[in-house]
Amino acid sequence: MGRLLKDIFSFEDRPRFERIGFLIFILIVLIFPWVVKSAYGRAVMIKFLLFALFGLGWNLIGGYGGQVDLGQAKNVGFGAYATGLMMLWWNVPFWVTVPVGMVIAAAESFGVAYPMFRLKGHYFAIATLCVALVWKELFVFWDWTGGARGVEIPIRPTPNFTYMQFGSPIHYHYFIFFLFLTQLLFMNWFRKSKLGYECQAVRDDEEVAASLGINVYRTKVIAYTITGGLGAVGGSFMTVYYLYIDPDFVMPLDLSILIAMTVMVGGAGSIWGPIIGAALLIPLDMYLGAWLGAQKRLGIDFMIYAVMMMVIAAREPKGIWGIIERMRKKRAG
Amino acid sequence: MLLEVKNLFKEFGGVIANADISLEVREGMIMGLIGPNGAGKTTLFNCIAGYYRPTRGRILFDGKDITGWPSHQVARIGIARTFQGTKTLSNMTVEENVMVGAFCRTHDREVVRKEAQEIMELLDLKEKAQSLPTELPIAMQRRIELARALATKPKLLMLDEIAAGLNPLETKEILQTIKRIKEERKLTLFLIEHVMEFIMTISEIVIVMAAGRKIAEGPPEKVAREPKVIEAYLGEKYAKG
Repeated sequence: MGRLLKDIFSFEDRPRFERIGFLIFILIVLIFPWVVKSAYGRAVMIKFLLFALFGLGWNLIGGYGGQVDLGQAKNVGFGAYATGLMMLWWNVPFWVTVPVGMVIAAAESFGVAYPMFRLKGHYFAIATLCVALVWKELFVFWDWTGGARGVEIPIRPTPNFTYMQFGSPIHYHYFIFFLFLTQLLFMNWFRKSKLGYECQAVRDDEEVAASLGINVYRTKVIAYTITGGLGAVGGSFMTVYYLYIDPDFVMPLDLSILIAMTVMVGGAGSIWGPIIGAALLIPLDMYLGAWLGAQKRLGIDFMIYAVMMMVIAAREPKGIWGIIERMRKKRAG
Repeated sequence: MLLEVKNLFKEFGGVIANADISLEVREGMIMGLIGPNGAGKTTLFNCIAGYYRPTRGRILFDGKDITGWPSHQVARIGIARTFQGTKTLSNMTVEENVMVGAFCRTHDREVVRKEAQEIMELLDLKEKAQSLPTELPIAMQRRIELARALATKPKLLMLDEIAAGLNPLETKEILQTIKRIKEERKLTLFLIEHVMEFIMTISEIVIVMAAGRKIAEGPPEKVAREPKVIEAYLGEKYAKG
């Protein structure tokens, strides 16, 4: 038990500058809402933390596992709808809906992983994309999910920790920060676990992994299942933060791609990669979208991402974190 | 008998890569496997290691029928291998490479850590523990592969051309390393090799393959004189002369 706690909370194996950087990051996030008073700035921060949370989860299969999954939005949707519908129908408290959403997303992921991992590389990526699109269309088509009209969450008169509804963004800020931290600590445990090592071995060379006693197929299925469960958490948050969800909002293709992109830009397969990627892309996304939108030049932001993506893929597959690591190694000699 | 192969066939479409191969590897021995390019040596290794499923025939390990077992199960029962042309886990450090191997036997990270340290010490890799394998010279990459395979605690270690592409000095070094780890870890070795001095000095028994068949078996000095073997390597003309 002591060792488990240590594995979860300890970053001792990381170099000093990383730990200091991480502490500074935590301090900035903690004081942020007290320094930045603008509603917009706070909203950007919350969205950043939300996508850092998404990225952490996706990093398990996409970064450590090396399987490019372009369908994480479906799991976000499962989480969002589990929370939304359970609250709407039965007034279930938020903290009960989260594990339910996670289990639903994990169960679905486990189910589709079985046939999907018969495919490899690009074919696997396409399959994940298709599965997510099918789910989105189903949620539009079905009546019991509210269809394209979506789900509106009944608003509670007073701020409320049972349903996690608050009047001020400060609450949501610390709320998403808490969810982000739990996921970060989970990933900190994961990267040191046997499964973490197995995933990385599978990513680097399946044949070698198998020769070392690793059941490649099983490892992929487990990693994909866990990733599904992790993705649902952010979805649940979206429901109580935005108080309105529909399939185009919580499970579109754009969302899947943005999640994958934040991790790839930041650095796939490293613990800090998703945070760096989200810190860069989310503000950029929001400001670019608003600025270009105001000038009636919508779509240019997508071109900018596409170019970034290509540059990263061609120049530095390990993303920004890869560049930092290389510079540090150079300096160390 | 530690490893027994009985009348093994492996066919790819119409091509017969292994035809009627039978062999026995005794516990504690060093068995060599030689033959010209395309003789089917690596195919045979792949069949034993579970990478290929044999078309016909049986493979027994420690008396257990392991024919057609997947690679990971073969590894867990105690057969480790290295690959022709070196395969490292290129995004993981040397230490992590070895740790993945050690995770084969336990979930406990501290145990794995300790074992990795021991094995890296044994193979003189400790200084490079935090390097990436691709940053290191080929001879060292071979040692990483060896370390990783050893970490799975095998009874039988199969080495596929571990000395290929090394210079004579490096070849000598790795030869000594292999002998040393065999004694220390009480291993049985089965190796494919093209470097003749290497395999002829280290092996107790050598099997010669040509065109998918086993054509000779015996102590190295005896096998080297067999006309059939000379013919396979150098052609009929030299065998007669």
